[in-house]
Amino acid sequence: MVDLWHVTFEVFRQKDNQKSHFNFFELDINPDEYVLDGIERIWAFTDRTLVFSHACHHSTCGACGMLVNGVEKLTCITSIRDVTRDGGKIRIEPLRNFPIISDLSVDMSSLYSRMEAVGHQPILPIQEEDSKGKVKSEGDLLRLADCIECGLCISACPIALTTSNYIGPAVLAGAQQHGELTPCILELVNSENGAWRCHSAYECTEVCPSNVDPAWRIMELRRKIIANRFSSFFTRK
Amino acid sequence: MDKPHVIVIGAGFTGVAVAYDLAKRGMDVTVLERGPIANGTSGRTHGLLHSGARYAVDDQESAIECIDENTILRKIAAQVIEPNGGLFVGIDDSDMNYRDKFIEGCQECHIPLEEYKPEIALRLEPELTKKIRTAILVPDGTFDPLRLALAFAASAKFHGAKFRLFCEVTGFLFDGLGNVTGVKFSDRTKGKMEELSADIVVSATGSWCGEVAEMAGDPNIPIRPTPGVMVTYDQRLCQRVINRLNEPGDGDIIVPQRQMITVGTTSFEADNLDYIPVTEQQVNLMYHRGCELIPSIANTRERGAFMASRPLVDSGLKGRSLARTFKCFDHKVSQNIDGLVTITGGKATTLRLMAEKTVDLVCQKLSFPAACETIETPLISYRQYFSIPNEVN
Amino acid sequence: MSEYPQQPGKLIKWFDPRHRSLGSWAFILNRVTGLGLTLYLFLHLIMLGQLAKGPDAYDGFIALVKNPVFLVGELLVIAAALIHGLNGIRVGLTSFGIGNSKQKQLFIILMSLAAVAIIYFAFRMFAH
Repeated sequence: MVDLWHVTFEVFRQKDNQKSHFNFFELDINPDEYVLDGIERIWAFTDRTLVFSHACHHSTCGACGMLVNGVEKLTCITSIRDVTRDGGKIRIEPLRNFPIISDLSVDMSSLYSRMEAVGHQPILPIQEEDSKGKVKSEGDLLRLADCIECGLCISACPIALTTSNYIGPAVLAGAQQHGELTPCILELVNSENGAWRCHSAYECTEVCPSNVDPAWRIMELRRKIIANRFSSFFTRK
Repeated sequence: MDKPHVIVIGAGFTGVAVAYDLAKRGMDVTVLERGPIANGTSGRTHGLLHSGARYAVDDQESAIECIDENTILRKIAAQVIEPNGGLFVGIDDSDMNYRDKFIEGCQECHIPLEEYKPEIALRLEPELTKKIRTAILVPDGTFDPLRLALAFAASAKFHGAKFRLFCEVTGFLFDGLGNVTGVKFSDRTKGKMEELSADIVVSATGSWCGEVAEMAGDPNIPIRPTPGVMVTYDQRLCQRVINRLNEPGDGDIIVPQRQMITVGTTSFEADNLDYIPVTEQQVNLMYHRGCELIPSIANTRERGAFMASRPLVDSGLKGRSLARTFKCFDHKVSQNIDGLVTITGGKATTLRLMAEKTVDLVCQKLSFPAACETIETPLISYRQYFSIPNEVN
Repeated sequence: MSEYPQQPGKLIKWFDPRHRSLGSWAFILNRVTGLGLTLYLFLHLIMLGQLAKGPDAYDGFIALVKNPVFLVGELLVIAAALIHGLNGIRVGLTSFGIGNSKQKQLFIILMSLAAVAIIYFAFRMFAH
């Protein structure tokens, strides 16, 4: 039998844009369960009004991103053992830089719409995604893209904190993944709120749970934009 | 004539597919979901797009449904499917004894297959166990669970369906004769109770449909929720789905997705469906069974373990049987409660078909003549779920 | 695309390094030194304005800034310029795709250089 840990969950609460507060829930829980399991337990057994987002519980959907003790985590693969101790606490807050729907759930519509606008491909040849676009291959097997649109990078980014107009690390990485810089995409990323707004804090890559490495992709996108402008400068006439 | 208004309870696979079909046939649709999209069983699938081969020996009706729907989904939902196929791998004598039955079953169910010698199979999937004796390729695939649901939901919204998330149905509205005329629900984001009336209510609540039907006064839905555990590992050790060439059993499948693989699954019964803990024994079982097929799982970090509760329908009981795999209950027939239809059972792979049959029943009950049109048209991008405004046309 | 108002109070989090990684320290240092240098630029222009008032005013001003308090201020300006400039080299290099995977090490090396230089200047300025 596993030894249970006594853990206090400090959970951010907010309903209908009213003033926010924290609720404290004390759980005796197996430390090998995940933070999301703890939250689901609170909902199932203690407080049916708790609102939180989740779907796949195995890090493929990107719905369950939250701040766990101040750090962006996919709660479904963050084990309780890794973020607290027996008798300790876990502070759970919604992601930053997104509007809050209620409690721990945020509205990521802007992220999804922008990912669509830059043409991020949800599915593509395995080799191409494995090599982050360096190897182009046709007729290969396909796989789902690394980016799961979880929003952790946008929550961690100091520029997304500065302005919601910044299109954000995931989206810039999405443009890099799309490959071709069409005029529409170029207009979005080669702009005040695009690739040039990044200030190299590397927080996106630090928190990304899904091997995207947005910071690298942003720098790669800059290189591509420069190459694109350079060549169009000389082919203008 | 006004468009009939249909409430769909639940935004899992069945709910979103029903909403899409209803809206596409021209009905006014409101989906009420107590959590976010696909937060229950649907989200927590390993994401196997069945070819039907798994059922080709024991349950050919399901197998045929699966291969037909597999072919359709590859066309309409290509945006969320890894279409790479799956191998049924034989390792020991018992597997090899199953081989002939398996091939015969697949052929009877028109599931295309191709058998590979061990050296060819190992070239396709180098991480497979060297003990492999045969491998049979079938058109399995992997889908992204949330995004498959979102693609149907987006298409439903495109045709005017309205989604109310975090709205938990707490009871029904009745007409005085016991017939359902709408629902009472609580909006969890605001902490407010609301009521909504409808011409018909469809309960697409899967494992929870027994509880919902009971609220309407029908305690006799023969649903048996059967949870299973799955364990995800941190490396993509195979490009195709890997199945054990044998009778369905615990830990007999490895499903690749993105840069991960998921080993599943077990089968048992649970009491409280809202929270079912994962036990260490089950995780260990998945590990050992997974290692029999792909030994290098032993050198891979465990990424997560999770549980989903399948809604299995008890066979041979009352209710209008549409197929052995899923059932659509008209509560008018079973308990003389009009205005409520329950759809449950089935598999993710057959979500579209389940919706088609359910909406056929709804159309028949409402005398609303409209044919299903979900087979040919590709779904719109799942991301449009977020950009289409939530208003009834 | 839905936009929503940003709360101005949130910008204080620019300077909150808790739970963040080394990259945020680089970002914070660059913000602080950038703002400091901008402020200094204005002071500097005001000082140059003194020149227009003739030699006496200028000499008086120079006497004032030989005060140790101003020396510390000057050292801060030198420190800010070093930190901002050297960190700028890191940002520039990584933007050209150089050293992305080693940006943390790059930051530590450049900031060590800055620290050595600051100590050297402090020594020179306060030694006599």
